[in-house]
Amino acid sequence: MIDIFWIIPVTAILALAFAYYFYSQVKKEDEGTDMMKKIAKHVSTGAMAYLWQQYKIVLIFFIVLTVVFAVLAYGFQLQNPWVPFAFITGGFFSGLAGFFGMKTATMASARTANAARQSLDKGLKVAFRSGAVMGLVVVGLALLDISVWFYVLDIFYPITDTHNMMIITTTMLTFGMGASAQALFARVGGGIFTKAADVGADLVGKVEAGIPEDDPRNPATIADNVGDNVGDVAGMGADLYESYAGSILATAALGAAAFLNNSEMQIKAVLAPMLIASIGIVLSIIGIYMVRAKEGASQKQLLGSLGRGINVSSILIVIGSLVLLYFFELENWLGIWGAIVTGLIVGIVIGRATEYYTSEEYKPTQKIADSAETGPATVIISGLGYGMISTVIPVLSVATGIILAYLFAANFVITDMSMGLYGIGIAAVGMLSTLGITLATDAYGPIADNAGGNAEMSELGPEVRKRTDALDSLGNTTAATGKGFAIGSAALTALALLASYIEELKIGIDRLMQNAESYVFPNGTEIFTREQLNELHISEFMNYFEVHLMSPKVLIGIFIGSMMAFLFCGLTMNAVGRAAAKMVDEVRRQFKTIAGIMEGKAEPDYARCVEISTKGAQVEMVLPSLLAILVPIAVGLVFGVGGAIGLLVGGLGTGFVLAVFMANAGGAWDNAKKYIETGHKGGKGSAAHKAAVIGDTVGDPFKDTSGPSLNILIKLMSMVTIVMSGVTVAFSLL
Amino acid sequence: MKRYLYLSITPEALISSMLRPAEFGNYQAVGTKKRTRGQSIFFEIDVEKAGDYVPLEYIEKRCMPHKDGSPKRSVYLSIYRVLETIPLPALKNLYLTTDDGRVLSLSQAEFRPKSHSQLHLYQELCPVTVRVASDLGPKEFIKRVTDTSHHVAVPRLFFADLQLADLANDPVNGLAENLPYANIPHLRDCLIDIHNKENKLTKTVIRYMKGEFLYRTTNHGFFVGDKETMIFYPFPSKEELEEKHYAWWRSAQLLGF
Repeated sequence: MIDIFWIIPVTAILALAFAYYFYSQVKKEDEGTDMMKKIAKHVSTGAMAYLWQQYKIVLIFFIVLTVVFAVLAYGFQLQNPWVPFAFITGGFFSGLAGFFGMKTATMASARTANAARQSLDKGLKVAFRSGAVMGLVVVGLALLDISVWFYVLDIFYPITDTHNMMIITTTMLTFGMGASAQALFARVGGGIFTKAADVGADLVGKVEAGIPEDDPRNPATIADNVGDNVGDVAGMGADLYESYAGSILATAALGAAAFLNNSEMQIKAVLAPMLIASIGIVLSIIGIYMVRAKEGASQKQLLGSLGRGINVSSILIVIGSLVLLYFFELENWLGIWGAIVTGLIVGIVIGRATEYYTSEEYKPTQKIADSAETGPATVIISGLGYGMISTVIPVLSVATGIILAYLFAANFVITDMSMGLYGIGIAAVGMLSTLGITLATDAYGPIADNAGGNAEMSELGPEVRKRTDALDSLGNTTAATGKGFAIGSAALTALALLASYIEELKIGIDRLMQNAESYVFPNGTEIFTREQLNELHISEFMNYFEVHLMSPKVLIGIFIGSMMAFLFCGLTMNAVGRAAAKMVDEVRRQFKTIAGIMEGKAEPDYARCVEISTKGAQVEMVLPSLLAILVPIAVGLVFGVGGAIGLLVGGLGTGFVLAVFMANAGGAWDNAKKYIETGHKGGKGSAAHKAAVIGDTVGDPFKDTSGPSLNILIKLMSMVTIVMSGVTVAFSLL
Repeated sequence: MKRYLYLSITPEALISSMLRPAEFGNYQAVGTKKRTRGQSIFFEIDVEKAGDYVPLEYIEKRCMPHKDGSPKRSVYLSIYRVLETIPLPALKNLYLTTDDGRVLSLSQAEFRPKSHSQLHLYQELCPVTVRVASDLGPKEFIKRVTDTSHHVAVPRLFFADLQLADLANDPVNGLAENLPYANIPHLRDCLIDIHNKENKLTKTVIRYMKGEFLYRTTNHGFFVGDKETMIFYPFPSKEELEEKHYAWWRSAQLLGF
């Protein structure tokens, strides 16, 4: 194996070592008063109870799917025999990352609030470094899993043979399926949990009982705090783990395909995305150390301090990747570097656009607040309107990114599809290369939010509340931009996966041909040898499978893919409504049966509310999750490769735009309400505030359940289609 | 167990109770099993100074602890024209209770205007609940409204003055978008009317109060009295509320849902 491969596992271990270091540093911090400890304990216990419950269901699901894969691999010889194991490890490491992230985040909330008693900088450091644990664990475990599999598969399929490299990379892609499945449950289940708790707590607390947020008298308040961690730490972590691993693996597969006739260059093309990710880890760690704040820092200065860390990492990755590719002597290294930079810029543009459309500093959110003066209906209308308009910049920037990355990598030869698609993949890798620090800023949000809640419930002094409010407010902005980043990276990753589907099909056909004399494509073309198969150009391949826009199979697939995005959203939104209603019933019951709650003399049964939300989330996540897995299989089996590609295209196109729309509309509604709460339009309790609260409640499942779940849907459908490609080519009806 | 006497404003009633003011406010707002919810504003009454109007014997007989030893929460003594019959010197602290049962105690103080305002907005709270715009200061306003020589008058009045921001001095061009009241253009018209017509001293903005009183809109505080005496209960500044009465302040801002 190439000499510098060792860098990949070493940097993965470095990331994990720093994650452990940050974890132990945070753990050393004092948790504060007994009340602070007590609240933190409730949240931590609730979060872990949720996680274990979810893992139990995921385990059953994984056992069933592993058996299915084993039957397909060993019974029907339709899949690589390593697929069941790769699938399990992908899911296991993703789950492990979620566990560590949640453990750290829930441990950090009281410590952050207590650190804020000393200074703003101290509070920021504790919260951010706790978030960094999640960021570094995700990139560390993903890269470790990739490098271990690469080592293992190299033993069985020496990479000196270019066809073996194809087998290795496409086999490793199925590890992404495990991560995808884990992410699906984390995102959908977590999204339903968090909003059921939040909406339930608000409806029965604020609206019905007149209790403010984060008031310990509200039985659902701990579930609400648990939900922040479940949704935005474990859910976001699993989502980005999957994007991170998926983009690296898809690019590796595309690199293997692009250089099928050049072993040396093929190895370099496969290793390049992994090495860029390795550099990104080191630079993320440097960036994390750049984050600090002065006492009394304004919101802008706090945002600037987080931005400094990310900007330094991004600038350094631009330089680092240039140096790496130059010395690596990868063919067209400058063009590939251009694709990486393109990916980074697309990520930044999407983040900025998200900030513009969701921050109260800018016109769109302020206009939504203006519309609150004329009632809830106009709030909803303007929020929907701005949400839809907000899709323009992300879509155009991804579109620009795709064509630029393609052209750069293809050296401006548009017919060179192999290199062009490799460029798109590596652009996604570039965007996600500094995930260690960008995910740290995402995970920071719920930690700061919980710290604010802890400070409120523990009745800490006004100076401390002011600091935790500043940290929380910063977290709201990073959460919104983080969602934009997650969606953008999911879109590019899904596109890379779509491109690598072709390579999986080749492997599937090759496997079929081992037991048959020839393979007949749907258009009647017959091939007899592996060489004939490998020599097929992508456009020929598409023609043979009748993948063109006039094919009814493709068109049907596009329609079904588009419909899936809406169906998935509808199911998850209704799930939130049902789970929230159960929460409302439970809180009402507790008020009725536990005397002294409102006087603050009796403690509510917090655990019961966590349990209600957990059960609600687990039950409700099953149907949308199963659909996301079964529909691609069914479409592939009925409409073949054309239908499957149509499904992915439709799902990606509609899902991406819908996800941006939902996340931004929800974020803008949320911040329009916060804008009013700062005293505009009459402030709290005014008619405009009431209208804005309705907008925010509608937007809650938009931005925290359905919108983020779409990221997973578009990636998971690609993954399922990829993994089932052998079955599709063997058994499709049409 | 000690007995307390309360003059409730929401609605007007005289109540005897064994609960201390904070407990009484909580009970009034949320009941015993959280089956009710509602704002409560009440005065504590000094029994010694309350005069003959208070049925002491009835209180002794009815306001007794329950069999299990728990205090009697409320015994209603009167529900009509109570404010006008209680001597003003008998009024002790004023208590403002939020929807969720948090209680803020206000003490009497001498009234000192924060700044000169040409126009005022008053929310009458008892015995009527009219919202009135006026160019009279609180002292002149209460004197005029309780002057029974006029056709339109009440014997005694309890009211609060509300924030007007820029409109207090410039009803035509003053910024009003951040005031929390419904129908700001109508409020502006009323203020302009008073501002422009020399003989127009008061104008009704809203005939009766819908919903509950948004405490945070209070400007100077609460006033109670008649044409001879005015008692003032200053409302704490936002800074003081955030620092000393944070739990109450948070709940108070939630009002209206």
